[in-house]
Amino acid sequence: MGSLVLEALSKRYGSSTAVERVDLEVTQGEMVALLGPSGCGKTTTLRMVAGFIPPTAGRVIIGGQDVTHTPPYARDTGMVFQSYALFPHMSVAQNVAFGLEMRKVGRAERDARVMEALRLVRLDHLADRLPRQLSGGQQQRVALARALVVNPAVFLLDEPLSNLDAKLRGEVRMEIRALQQRLGLTTLIVTHDQEEALTMADRLVVMERGRVRQVGTAEELYEHPADPFVAGFVGRCNLIPGRLEAADAFRAESGALLHCDSGAAPGPAPTGAALLALRPERIGLAPDPAGRARITAVTYLGAQTEYHVEQDGTALLVARPTAPLGDPLRRLAVGDAVVLSWDAAAARLLPAE
Amino acid sequence: MAALVLPAGLLVVMLLVAPMALLARISLNRFSPTELMVEATTAENYWRAVQDPYYQQVLGTTLGVALGCTVLALALGFPAAYWLARMESRWKSLATILVLFPLLVGNVVRSAGWMALLGNEGAINAALMGAGITGGPLPLLYNGGAVVVGIVAVVLPYMILTLAAVIEGIPRQAEEAAANLGGRPMTVFRRVVLPLALPGVVAGSVLVFILCMNAYATPVLLGGPQFKMMAPAVYDQFVRGNNWPFGAALAFILLAVTLVLTVVGSTLLGRRYRAA
Repeated sequence: MGSLVLEALSKRYGSSTAVERVDLEVTQGEMVALLGPSGCGKTTTLRMVAGFIPPTAGRVIIGGQDVTHTPPYARDTGMVFQSYALFPHMSVAQNVAFGLEMRKVGRAERDARVMEALRLVRLDHLADRLPRQLSGGQQQRVALARALVVNPAVFLLDEPLSNLDAKLRGEVRMEIRALQQRLGLTTLIVTHDQEEALTMADRLVVMERGRVRQVGTAEELYEHPADPFVAGFVGRCNLIPGRLEAADAFRAESGALLHCDSGAAPGPAPTGAALLALRPERIGLAPDPAGRARITAVTYLGAQTEYHVEQDGTALLVARPTAPLGDPLRRLAVGDAVVLSWDAAAARLLPAE
Repeated sequence: MAALVLPAGLLVVMLLVAPMALLARISLNRFSPTELMVEATTAENYWRAVQDPYYQQVLGTTLGVALGCTVLALALGFPAAYWLARMESRWKSLATILVLFPLLVGNVVRSAGWMALLGNEGAINAALMGAGITGGPLPLLYNGGAVVVGIVAVVLPYMILTLAAVIEGIPRQAEEAAANLGGRPMTVFRRVVLPLALPGVVAGSVLVFILCMNAYATPVLLGGPQFKMMAPAVYDQFVRGNNWPFGAALAFILLAVTLVLTVVGSTLLGRRYRAA
């Protein structure tokens, strides 16, 4: 058990930069997600923590010890690979026992701990199977047990759910989170799936092109995104280019005047070109023949209904809980006039990129 | 679909099965110095080959060279195959061609090259004597060592390419997982890479062993007149001694020994690691 600290960790390949000065601290028992699109450097960062990639600069500190130049086998990390990477020629029990054998744990204790770890992931009845005889979800749990059985100081998960089908993914997500909390594991998880990151992690690190864009809890990132990239990547967001005209008025490039509260964001309001960030579910909508907004598309999604709306040349996405049958909202169709409303504090002003 | 194998099948029947059957029949004939081959049905050629200490020694030498070359090719080939299989750069296809390069030169030409290198007036001895390290030439040519070196140089490409094809199929992440769990490089090799590469080890070794057992030009040219292996011995009987029945018997003994050892060896090797 221990904490994980990354100090100005960088990786460059020739002139291209994969990871640029990443600073991060994962405290004991905390689960942090590295979130970003493919190629943002999140996997490279994780692999530098595991020791598979030597960093160009910076330090990796596990449990207070600098392990930047320690080979992977001497680092106390337990990693679950995206492909699970089970040893195909070993049984489930042999797979799980491998790490204990490497640590020279005696036979009796080894067997006991292997069975305990398999019970933890509810696979003790399949101990003698070979990996190829298991389903994807079961293989995934073997990989978890194999990494957990050695009590690693840091638990590393590389897109652990990407090879599972949607239904299973939800279950395994809860299962991993419950295990992580029960065992108090210091965990770093890499994912490109924002829902995965939001539901599992205590804190999220949003990365893009090798750099950390923002670090915070799910709520902080969603409510107070630092920049348009974060606003667009964590949840969905209408990003309207334009500039601030008054403390509570934003002039969109299309000419529409939108109200906002420039004081809601910390720091000075941007004076030049800016973006107005407006979450689709924070926009209210009501049918009104005199309304200036027109519906261009309606998508019924069951619990939610999405309306594509155009107002004064600005396209906006509006998401509302689906109204009960008989409600006038249910009769809205393409071409209908509506009126939009939002809380000024819900409209955040972001610097243009 | 079965018709697709017909052309190749016919060729095999005509060019392999038929001559083999003929050779089998000949091996049962009797040899007479005056009439050469006399129609008979006798096992005396086989008896003579098995009991004659000379041919026992020839077979022993052949086995020793073939086993030695196979082990050596495996030991030298595995690291190279691993390197080739794990190579990611654009030079990989070039490296593969370089591995195949020795096969572009015929056996006789290659052996001539070795002779120019290893002979008493060869490049190595000339350099050693020129530098004053040795007073006279070292006996580098016309011995078992020269033959082994010559054969290994021929069979190494087969071993490397067979192994590399199998190693490429071993997921790199399995190696990383083993390292992550505390396995040092040698342990990862022994516990993960080697067992998973075993099909390639068996296939490569069988291929190389068969090639070595049947080597002809290299033992003749690099081994010299005193050094005898089975393939040249068979040739001697057919062409020099005109003793076709005995030559045919030697050929079948060589075939049988190769076949039995190949089957036994690959079965044992396969079973040992499947159990582990």
